[in-house]
Amino acid sequence: MSDLICVAVIAGAFGVQGEVRVKSFTAQADAIADYGPLSDEDGDNHYDLSILRSIKNGLAVRLSGITTKEQADAMRGVKLFVPRARLPQLPDDEYYYSDLIGMAVLDSGGTELGHIKAVQNHGATDLLEVQCLDHSATVLLPFTRAVVPTVDLASRRVITDPPDGAFPDPK
Amino acid sequence: MSRSVWKGPFVDAYVLKKAEVSREGGRNEVIKIWSRRSTILPQFVGLTFGVYNGRKHIPVMISEDMIGQKFGEYAPTRTYYGHAADKKAKRK
Repeated sequence: MSDLICVAVIAGAFGVQGEVRVKSFTAQADAIADYGPLSDEDGDNHYDLSILRSIKNGLAVRLSGITTKEQADAMRGVKLFVPRARLPQLPDDEYYYSDLIGMAVLDSGGTELGHIKAVQNHGATDLLEVQCLDHSATVLLPFTRAVVPTVDLASRRVITDPPDGAFPDPK
Repeated sequence: MSRSVWKGPFVDAYVLKKAEVSREGGRNEVIKIWSRRSTILPQFVGLTFGVYNGRKHIPVMISEDMIGQKFGEYAPTRTYYGHAADKKAKRK
């Protein structure tokens, strides 16, 4: 699990007064302002952010230290990160995607089946996309108590009881 | 124009049959179906269907608020991962 989580990317300058166009990746687009100063990928530069208004394909934002259009143009493509510790605590049975991704997936007998590649939600339950250990295929598992009885954040693993035939036979 | 009420909801017959067999068996399994056009009926609640999206079967656990929708609505045919950011998954 990475300590820094990408929450937005700067898409370019907006206007001529040093404002930037930001594409937010958070569940609620304007929530990026709630997490305090954002940093770049290295964590060297920190930016205070104030949202001016919602615009097509993003938000018009003023970043601290960016006062001219030239500076704003130079920021194009910069990803903005927030430390994982700054995200609020969640109730039981709720997990951040970024915590789940990369976790080892084991069956109830302790055999490793793969790791979580992505989390998807198409309108029904959340789905864990599991990259199989010795297979190129991925398997989707419903994120339910029946199929995923244990999520151990500390040891970075989930224990699953997959439905019959969910995983391909090992080669 | 919407479907006439007197016809009832459309469901492919094999979906009904598979759901009935699965419910009687009571096994932990994903019912693989290819019929994206079938309507979700009340007797499907609690079952997990693997709805084909053209490449693989997407597990869809049926809940009460999905009744009346089509299976295909829950199995998109295009993949877009996006960024995790602060998105949350709730275990049901």
